[in-house]
Amino acid sequence: MKTAQTAFKMSGSTQEEEELPANHTGPKGVINDWRKFKLDSVDQTVPQSKRELLRQMSSQREDDKERLTRKMSVQEYELIQEEDERCLKRYRKQCMQEMHERLSFGPTFEAVYELESGEDFLEVIEKEHRLTLVVVHVYQHGVKGCEQLNSCLDCLASEYSGVKFCRIDAVATGAAERFSPEVLPALLVYKAGELLGNFLAVTKHFHEEFFATDVEAFLNEYALLPEKEFTACADDEDEEGDVE
Amino acid sequence: MGEIEELRKEADSLKDQITAARKAVQDTTLQEAVASITVVGRVQMKTRKTLRGHLAKIYAMHWGADAKLCVSASQDGKLIVWDSITTNKVNAIPLKSSWVMTCAYAPSGNLVACGGLDNMCSIYNLKGKDGNVKVMRELAAHTGYLSCCRFLSDSEIITSSGDCTCVLWDIETGTQKTIFAGHQGDCMSLAVSPDFNFFISGACDFTAKLWDIREGQCRQTFGGHESDINAIGFFPNGNAVITGSDDATCKLYDLRADQELITYQDSGIMCGVTSLAPSFSGRLLLAGYDDFNVNIWDALKAERVGVLAGHDNRVSCIGVSADGMACCTGSWDSFLKIWN
Repeated sequence: MKTAQTAFKMSGSTQEEEELPANHTGPKGVINDWRKFKLDSVDQTVPQSKRELLRQMSSQREDDKERLTRKMSVQEYELIQEEDERCLKRYRKQCMQEMHERLSFGPTFEAVYELESGEDFLEVIEKEHRLTLVVVHVYQHGVKGCEQLNSCLDCLASEYSGVKFCRIDAVATGAAERFSPEVLPALLVYKAGELLGNFLAVTKHFHEEFFATDVEAFLNEYALLPEKEFTACADDEDEEGDVE
Repeated sequence: MGEIEELRKEADSLKDQITAARKAVQDTTLQEAVASITVVGRVQMKTRKTLRGHLAKIYAMHWGADAKLCVSASQDGKLIVWDSITTNKVNAIPLKSSWVMTCAYAPSGNLVACGGLDNMCSIYNLKGKDGNVKVMRELAAHTGYLSCCRFLSDSEIITSSGDCTCVLWDIETGTQKTIFAGHQGDCMSLAVSPDFNFFISGACDFTAKLWDIREGQCRQTFGGHESDINAIGFFPNGNAVITGSDDATCKLYDLRADQELITYQDSGIMCGVTSLAPSFSGRLLLAGYDDFNVNIWDALKAERVGVLAGHDNRVSCIGVSADGMACCTGSWDSFLKIWN
């Protein structure tokens, strides 16, 4: 069986499709971040021969058994040294920026979509881009809270253009028994075909009168909404020592 | 050449004997044993706190034994000790190296440790007399990166390294008490048993080993994974071991049966596991994957029952507190979150 590593090794260094190359987390993540830093850094102390070595180590060949079990070469250990703090700062910001961009790539939407049938429902869950969050509101005319929730979602749809908000009448789903009035309004959250959040009778979490911000806060508690925009963290204050 | 052939035959025969012995004690499978139990319902956890203060990706975190304080290590070259209830930063410790792979909190709460590409394990005293936190010891002897460290007490710590060994150190003298050699690949992770008599290590030779700390020997070796083991943990009762691997699966091995009981896998998951933490009861297994996703597994039924941090894939490390009340995740965007 191919290891997950080889599956991702083939993606090379350009990312049109947003496949994450392997090893971003854990100790191997640190090693790869360090390699990338050494390769990317403007710091010219890394000679050409060493750069080639780093490039090779970043794309390990499957057939080299020795390389497989040892993650860092002796030559690489020798390259570890005191690093320029400015270069490091720049690199860290770059890392986070890249990740944010990678995750905000994807289709955008303007308003809440009305789904007309069970098939529409299935289609929207299965066919959307794998990075797109799909939020479906199952409602029914006359059921308390549905209309309020609808207007909240209209609001959120304009704020979170990367999220596809949809709504469907319980009767139209073809599964009306599942969506009886006691469990409505219901909010179902999907991504890449998978159910991430299932909130039946979601209004029980809110007060009588609730607003878009309440719904937003609720979804954020479950980390189900994307960040609105990338806020660069304050990196100009250097904290040293204890902070109480 | 004849002698090599002989030894090879002997090794193969011993392997066969081990396989036979394991089969002999296998009177049932985990699936059969839990057939009458229903799967745990969907798990949806909420963010209770957000810990802000780091400036770059969180590489590692570890809870203190009081289940209130925790320590995190980040690419920004800092260790921060947090009060998870108030979200205050109790200590912010600057490190010499930004490439930190692991951090640990001593059970007493007096010390924290970290290490990484500097090949060293640095011990910091949080309770120094003048109130300042400084390096107490630098444990240097490994010839490879420091992938993981865990305290046994204020005077002993165990480290795992990219040099394929694990070491038990005397913190006072800064010397190696025992070297645990045997892995054929970089050691990536370690976990100490609840009774502190054993520890397990996972390595890039696709095996996990159980070591007797006092005797200094490897007691058991567990194979079966098809790639590097990146994460390892003890099942809460200490009788089983859970591993997470680049082969996109987690496995549960029983220590007494000396074999694998179950594999946690899904055809939709193609990404390596890089961190894991069982819940307090052991019924749930939280597994962190290299695509920054966290899957929650029903440990008995081996079915996925939820995802953590549903929307964005952000999670770079996870840890469950000792009292089981909360889980903490570190993210590539510099924040830590407390969930339950």
